[in-house]
Amino acid sequence: MLSVTGSAGPPVTGSAVLSVAGLGKSFPGVRALDGVDFTARAGEVHALIGENGAGKSTLIKVLTGVYQPGEGEVTYDGSAVRFATPLAAQHAGISTIYQEVNLVPLMSVARNLFLGREPRGRLGLIDFRRMHREADEALRGLGVRVDVRRPLRELGVGAQQMVALARAVSVDARVVIMDEPTSSLEPREVATLFEVIRMLRGRGIAVIYVSHRLDELYEVCDTVTVLRDGKVVHTGPIAELDRLRLVSLMLGRDIGDVREEGLTKFSGRHDADSQAVLEATELTVRHQLDGVSLTIRAGEVVGLGGLLGSGRSETAKAIAGALPPDAGRVVVAGVPVRTGSTPAAIRAGVSLLPEDRKAEGIVPGLSVRENIALAALPGLSRFGLVDEARIDRVVDTFMKRLRIKASGPHQKVGELSGGNQQKVLLARWLAMNPKVLLLDEPTRGIDVGAKAEVQKLIDELAEDGLGVLLISSDMEELVEGSDRVVVLKDGAVVEELTGDAVTEDRLMRAIAATPAARATTAVPTAPGGDDD
Amino acid sequence: MTDLSLGGRTRPDRDRVLRLLQDYGVHLGVAVLLLVNIAFTPHFLSAENFRTQAVQVAPVLIVALGMALAIGSEGVDLSVGSVMALSTSLLSLYLGYGMWIALLVAVLGGIAVGVANGALIAYIGVQPIVATLALMVAGRGLALVLLPQLKDVRDPTMASLGSGDLLGIPYLVLIAVALALLVAFVVRRTTFGRQLLAIGDSRPAARLAGLPVRRVLILVYVCSGALAAIAGVLATARLTASDPTSLGNLMELSAITAVVVGGTPLSGGRVRIGGTVAGAVLIQLLTATLIKHDLPPSWTQIAQAVVIILAVYAARERGRR
Amino acid sequence: MKPNIFFRRTSGRTSGRASAHTLLAVGLAASLALTAAGCAKSEDDSGSSGDSKSGAAEGDAGQVAATPSAGADTCVIGDYGAEKLDLKSATVGFSQSEKEANPFRIAETASIKAEAAKRGVKLLTANAQSQFSKQISDVQDLIAKGADLLVIAPLNSDGWEPVLRQAKAKHIPIVTIDRKINAAPCKDYVSFIGSDFVEQGRRAADRMIEATGGKGEVAILLGAAGNNVTTDRTKGFEEQIKKKAPDLKVVFKQTGEFAREKGQQVTEQLIQSKPGIDGIYAENDEMGLGAVGALKGAGKKAGDVKIVTIDGTKNAVRGIVDGWIDGVIESNPRFGPLAFQTLDTFTKGGKVAQDIVIKDSAYTKDNAESDLGKAY
Repeated sequence: MLSVTGSAGPPVTGSAVLSVAGLGKSFPGVRALDGVDFTARAGEVHALIGENGAGKSTLIKVLTGVYQPGEGEVTYDGSAVRFATPLAAQHAGISTIYQEVNLVPLMSVARNLFLGREPRGRLGLIDFRRMHREADEALRGLGVRVDVRRPLRELGVGAQQMVALARAVSVDARVVIMDEPTSSLEPREVATLFEVIRMLRGRGIAVIYVSHRLDELYEVCDTVTVLRDGKVVHTGPIAELDRLRLVSLMLGRDIGDVREEGLTKFSGRHDADSQAVLEATELTVRHQLDGVSLTIRAGEVVGLGGLLGSGRSETAKAIAGALPPDAGRVVVAGVPVRTGSTPAAIRAGVSLLPEDRKAEGIVPGLSVRENIALAALPGLSRFGLVDEARIDRVVDTFMKRLRIKASGPHQKVGELSGGNQQKVLLARWLAMNPKVLLLDEPTRGIDVGAKAEVQKLIDELAEDGLGVLLISSDMEELVEGSDRVVVLKDGAVVEELTGDAVTEDRLMRAIAATPAARATTAVPTAPGGDDD
Repeated sequence: MTDLSLGGRTRPDRDRVLRLLQDYGVHLGVAVLLLVNIAFTPHFLSAENFRTQAVQVAPVLIVALGMALAIGSEGVDLSVGSVMALSTSLLSLYLGYGMWIALLVAVLGGIAVGVANGALIAYIGVQPIVATLALMVAGRGLALVLLPQLKDVRDPTMASLGSGDLLGIPYLVLIAVALALLVAFVVRRTTFGRQLLAIGDSRPAARLAGLPVRRVLILVYVCSGALAAIAGVLATARLTASDPTSLGNLMELSAITAVVVGGTPLSGGRVRIGGTVAGAVLIQLLTATLIKHDLPPSWTQIAQAVVIILAVYAARERGRR
Repeated sequence: MKPNIFFRRTSGRTSGRASAHTLLAVGLAASLALTAAGCAKSEDDSGSSGDSKSGAAEGDAGQVAATPSAGADTCVIGDYGAEKLDLKSATVGFSQSEKEANPFRIAETASIKAEAAKRGVKLLTANAQSQFSKQISDVQDLIAKGADLLVIAPLNSDGWEPVLRQAKAKHIPIVTIDRKINAAPCKDYVSFIGSDFVEQGRRAADRMIEATGGKGEVAILLGAAGNNVTTDRTKGFEEQIKKKAPDLKVVFKQTGEFAREKGQQVTEQLIQSKPGIDGIYAENDEMGLGAVGALKGAGKKAGDVKIVTIDGTKNAVRGIVDGWIDGVIESNPRFGPLAFQTLDTFTKGGKVAQDIVIKDSAYTKDNAESDLGKAY
């Protein structure tokens, strides 16, 4: 029923299968989609890209019936439709493969493949022999050889993804939506996936492909639509758009624009001749980081650049002990730190301001005071009893120094503005006298005034001799705030910008650069995707 | 009230009333029940009666204190009733060495169950409700293996622990009050207490802030186990018999009710000891009222259910804002 | 970042080591508890549970008498579809429902064993530990092991279909004791031997009337709700009071759930709110003993409040000797002699009653001291 023969057939770009026009969707306080036009055609692989908050996932959710459109309409197969539920979209022929496999882990591979449409024998019983045979054939066609009777969860994630794919393509889909399908695949599996995608294209199926990996987009896609802030900023054949232009469209920074200096509150360069305060060497986390090394000197702000999914947050988390690396070393001020342990990293003087401030940063139900004292608590206690007077002093100092606006130290942090929450988190770490601060998107989602204050603070802290790692999707902030910028791509360092090279132009070029035969795509197909 | 133009202003007033009800509703409930009983229940206003209610509520309250810690850490401890049974079995088995040794062994048994609960939750990542359910079943089983049937306790020290008093206040009540003060102190003043609340409110944040999450969780369940074991000892002393078949049956429900009615949210991050005490007293008074007026026993359960629903409803309103 | 499935896998790896810790911890906890049992030293038992077996045996001596109600339905072996056999050479299977953790079950099993030994019959036993599914498989095992006759103390009344069918196919006569099963007598099983709980309630009422002089106010400590024993013992008591002593009023009815602690707590509330109560009828001994505890705690003296209980355990009978309890109606657990006598008659071809009521004795001040040994 499935075969990959004739994989790389010529693209048969046909008629529109699924399209939206003038699509708008709002959530409280957010305009997620605004006048979006988008068309997926038969026999076309259509890349859908954009940074965080651009509206990709909202668009996909509208297409698959998870959300209902606010304005505009969805046209499928020539007529206006409205999918009430994801199931309705699925029945109509729109299959979705998510980054996370959403199948039933305890059921056999074959059962998963045929869930809801099992081949029936006489008496309406499931014809297991036929089911196993057909499942085996379908997976073999995708280069996966597994025992289809085994529970799905015993398979590796790559193989599970292939099962999801086989399921999607075997249900007579007319549109297949893939949301970051390669994020947990081995290079070999990626190659197989691409073959399958080409095969689908050959059969006249419309494929919508969401990914942050530029190399993949250029390898497998025909058309690209770039979303930014809920609007379509570009749509057209991918061959006509060079990488640099694509990156600048995504990030909303034009190449060669005359840039006014000093829009941020960063002062400029710091003295960087001092000792290395942090040395991270060859940090590797399977599927996420591929031998990342970086050094931060005391008094220096090092920027970490790259697109969404390039491994910026993962690098910070691996250094801070929150993500256990498979390999690699972290040395703080000349002393090796045990990896994979947050307390060990904190004791060594490494502090992480996480990207997701609300879920991983603040403790919303506790007061400003308790939040600031949280990490330093053991040091502010004697014999397990909290020294309230000392806490009051520390909290008072930092609330003044960071100009935290709250009704008082006893206000709940959850009630503060984003900027003040961020300052509370900074205060929590500064109370620990850290050597290295890892700041993951420190100014995201906070208002302009607070943003300037936080930027100024970062500057001051570096001047006080801290080593700072700054992660930001705001190119301007990154370039102006950093003394050096380390550029990541697909979990590896691709370039390091220093001195005068720290400019937005250079940064975008580095992000857009064609890889020098990187392993992700260059490995030839070796069918037999046995799992680990 | 008749002035409709006040609509805009009554809203915040309503909110304030609601918040006051959430925070002090349980105290109000206790006051109302006391007044109703004083008015309508014969012989209610007597020292003997208050003594009876206080003595009966003591073991429930002690268990509820541990439960409040577990719930504050965004967990729950279903094994408390079985720990009471285990504690009474161990006590009975070791009374030959004298009360203090036996008491120590009984509390150690509770601590051991707490360690097992905490380890399952903190290291293996088993849901608290599942982990403690396992220990609930295993604990009762073990208690019955150790002591298959009710056995009288004749130790005179135990008997006086159960029925004696100091300056007119029964030992049981003194112990319960002391433990409530101790737990309140732990929650408010110790590093452990602060860390417990942070972990209950946001585990990912607590982890990233470098808190010893596992150690704190284990300690939470150790406290709960030890308190339940103490409650088991006291209940045994009062009954002057070890009855592992029925001691502590459904105690987990009474304790959870006391904690929730007392205003500790099931979502963790907050522990109200004063509220828990009031919650336990409220349930005791409610039960006593219904029994004293000889209402059908099933009414007690229905009344408890109504109180729980009211408390959870109030908590939900709180969560909304 | 989106959650990645690998993150969970890596953390799974660390928890591999962690699970070793946990196993260690759980193991420690368990071994602690077990060693606890190993070096335990409990208080001296002066005969509360240790001699219950001898008590059962003693009691058996004079307990064979039953009350076969004349004219009631009977059963003979031909009707049942089995063949005659000699009990002496047969194998009897006994399935006990609950763990022998309370005096009643202990005495019941002991009585069956003692009678089998006395008659020289080969006995196979099994205990379902309060799990009905286990009881079903227990009985099937007994059949498979070659039981020719079955004595069953059922945990449930319903759900016996599969076992009955199996027994029928092999023509195995079944006698059930202490609880009936929902099936046809003399067809699916031979006879049921048990106590009449309503009658026990009536007799308790008689004792209460005698103790209080038929006047005043009494309270009932009910058993567990929704239990037929509770319903029957309540019904018998209330009917009898109404009939024989209209001046005796039941003013309080609360459940003590058959447990001593609950009995004590409820009685404490009772004596606070109704200090003038004259009598307490407890539907089992344990609640009655709880009531005694409450009365002692409230400073009452033995005899101030009359207490009548049902069951006949040693502790309760000792309560009569001490003067706290006025009467204990026995619920006889010694089914051994009667069960074997029934099987003997039946297998020889004789007529047996389909419903056999075992004789329950009673303890009062007059016989408590002398018959204490008979209590279980």
